[in-house]
Amino acid sequence: MAEGAAPEADDGTAPPWERWLIRVRAYFVKEVSEIRRQPMLILSLIVGPLLVLIIFGASYQNSTPVLRTAIVLPPGGIPGLSTQQIRNMASYNFTIISVDEDRAGAEARLAAGELDVVQVLPADVFATLRENQTSTITFISNAINPLVEGWVQYLAYAEVNEINKTLLRLAALQAQGEAQTIRLKVSDASGVIAELQAGVSQAQEENVRGTLADLIDAIALLQQNLPPPEVLSAQSADLASLPGQLAQLKANLELVVQAIDDGTVAQRIADLAAAQSDLHILDKTLELFVNTSADVMISPVTQQYTNVRGQAYAAVIFYAPGVLALLVQHTAITLGALALVRERLMGAFELFRVAPVNMVQLLLGKYLGYTLVIAASSLVLLAAMMLLGMPLLGSWGQFALLLLLLTVASLGVGFLISTISGSDSQAIQLAMITLLLSIFFSGFFISLDSFARPALAVSAAIPMSHGVAGFQAIMLRGLAPSPGAWAGLIVIAAITFGLVVAITGRQLRGATR
Amino acid sequence: MSQERRLSVDSHDVTIDFGGGAGIFDQTYRIPEGTILGLIGPSGCGKSTTMRVALGLLTPQQGQISVLGTSPSAFTARDREQIGYIPQQFVLYPRLTVAENATFVASLYGMRTSAIKARLAELLDFIDMREARDRLGANLSGGMQRRLMLLGALMHNPTLIFADEPTAGIDPVLRGRFWDYFRKLRDEGRTLYVSTQYVGEAVYCDYVAVMRKGRILAIDTPAGLRKRVLGGEIIHISLEDERRTGEAVEHLRRAGDPVISARRVPGTDNEIHVTVADAGGSLPEVLNLLEDSDGPNMVVSSAQELQISYDDIFIRLMQREEAANG
Repeated sequence: MAEGAAPEADDGTAPPWERWLIRVRAYFVKEVSEIRRQPMLILSLIVGPLLVLIIFGASYQNSTPVLRTAIVLPPGGIPGLSTQQIRNMASYNFTIISVDEDRAGAEARLAAGELDVVQVLPADVFATLRENQTSTITFISNAINPLVEGWVQYLAYAEVNEINKTLLRLAALQAQGEAQTIRLKVSDASGVIAELQAGVSQAQEENVRGTLADLIDAIALLQQNLPPPEVLSAQSADLASLPGQLAQLKANLELVVQAIDDGTVAQRIADLAAAQSDLHILDKTLELFVNTSADVMISPVTQQYTNVRGQAYAAVIFYAPGVLALLVQHTAITLGALALVRERLMGAFELFRVAPVNMVQLLLGKYLGYTLVIAASSLVLLAAMMLLGMPLLGSWGQFALLLLLLTVASLGVGFLISTISGSDSQAIQLAMITLLLSIFFSGFFISLDSFARPALAVSAAIPMSHGVAGFQAIMLRGLAPSPGAWAGLIVIAAITFGLVVAITGRQLRGATR
Repeated sequence: MSQERRLSVDSHDVTIDFGGGAGIFDQTYRIPEGTILGLIGPSGCGKSTTMRVALGLLTPQQGQISVLGTSPSAFTARDREQIGYIPQQFVLYPRLTVAENATFVASLYGMRTSAIKARLAELLDFIDMREARDRLGANLSGGMQRRLMLLGALMHNPTLIFADEPTAGIDPVLRGRFWDYFRKLRDEGRTLYVSTQYVGEAVYCDYVAVMRKGRILAIDTPAGLRKRVLGGEIIHISLEDERRTGEAVEHLRRAGDPVISARRVPGTDNEIHVTVADAGGSLPEVLNLLEDSDGPNMVVSSAQELQISYDDIFIRLMQREEAANG
């Protein structure tokens, strides 16, 4: 201390604009130094999220739930299908735990939570089908999760579709076999009708009658086993006419048989000619039917999927930009939430108010300090993510700008929490609620399309919503974030900064009252 | 209080009523620059509120106050740069070192890094903390934390220093060192406004304001305060012959100047308290009044100025206040 020297406040001091900056720097350096002294905090900022991503990437398998399922067979099982075949058919979408005939037991296990789904198969499907009725597979679940229930319903639909397709294919193959047999009989019938037209003896008439009656029975059987008209129609107009042709031929043949029985064949020469013509036409149509692939017949339309990017990203890569946005927002909000309330409670505001500093300098210094720390840790995390294979297809400049805006907007939310919190624990609690809100409404896990319109306003107020969309666009698509993402972050940052300055300024003035 | 020096603080009838009897009332006092004003009173008597009004942290509901010639409500940044403040509690940062804490506070006052370095080295020597320069705030003892607060308040070289109970909760040795620091700062021309609960610390101040229930009961130099309470200075006399004590008291009372009053010390047989304006100057004359061979011709076994503690003075002031208020 200068001995005996009178205080000289102005001596060697900086000009006002420099003092203004020095005061901002004071808070900046203070915040950075304090965080620097907390290695565990820095470590958790970078290593924590990275570890979570690595574990997620290593362990994530698929997005469909595992549904433990019991299949209940009808008494005596399903004719023509073994238990193993049934198990295989259902195991694409469900994890089959048991296949047996014990429905009560299965429902008891479902009620006890040992199963997720019980499938009750109907009795003879083919017999029911032949009776022109549909069979029903009953799916029973005990889902409490609406998403799981949606999955059960969707997977049940897919399984029934698959079964229907299989049944249709079997029916089509059977019908084609029968059609092949009929073609031989058609040829025979055509010969005997020609003979009938030429005139035959009584004894020969009996032989003709037998041939025609045999064909009529075969046609009747084919009519039963033909694929549904819409399936035939989807193939061609010729095949669409097959049921009509069969019906017409059957009717004409029945007339011929009737004429033989009545001894009026000579009067029915026209019917014989018509039947002969029908046989000719039917033979052509049956030839077409037999030569049409059963698979093509039951699945006339198939899908072809192409991803212009080759394929979608692995889940861990897809979620990585969201994790980055989540990390940035949560760190910023937590740091911001504690920043002001801590200093207010420890009494530092009183010191600040006596000193020639103002709220803007205080906030700018803190914004700068925290932004530097968060940006640095985010970049280290990003580098680690890129080593794990995460791309950054877009502009680095846009990425940096988005990171900066997301940090500043999130800090604003954190500072706002800090201004309204009465204690450290309350600030942490509010930060956690914000985190929860963000996970639900930011589009991180649940698509924003799933929400009603009012919820979109909540989403727009969350910095992470814009961060997730923006980072995904830049990193995974190589596109610029939407104007809405930029504007959203700027508006949040501006509003929170204004509110924090106003509220904290009032608190600063009242710090000692 | 001296009117010759410029005033650092000038308060007139300042009142802030928080309701329920809490607040400060009708406070009128002045602090000449280059002096130490001690604000003494029990906890909750309004010392901090009084100081906060002067700092501009609270606005008076009535009255006016001027600090460094300016109303605190109109302080500019330049005005604030002349003020140093040591709050009651440790408000610096446990994760920063002593040097970083001091640098932070100095930067709030706009000091350049080069100026901070020079000033820091100087002040670390002043408060005997050179060795603790790089120690974290969290690792400082309570006394070192108080000294760090003092360091922070002095970094920007203020002319007026407010210290709100800087010696609270620290050991007597360190309290003595703090007052040594304060007197050095005063000797350099600074003005110090210090509040304390320790009445005995009044002796270190140039002026003492005694507070109770938000009011300043008395403000004077420590000696002036003593005189004000006791009506002057006291000479304590012991007589050889206890049978003549009553005669001696009567004689002294009749003698007049320099004797202001005389009385037997309650509970004793041969001891007398004689009140005079100046104990040191009047002692020979008082002894002469008793030992005069042409007068009472008494034998005085001992006579000395009575040193009444400031605790007693404070208690008497309280009692007088209570008596005045019925």
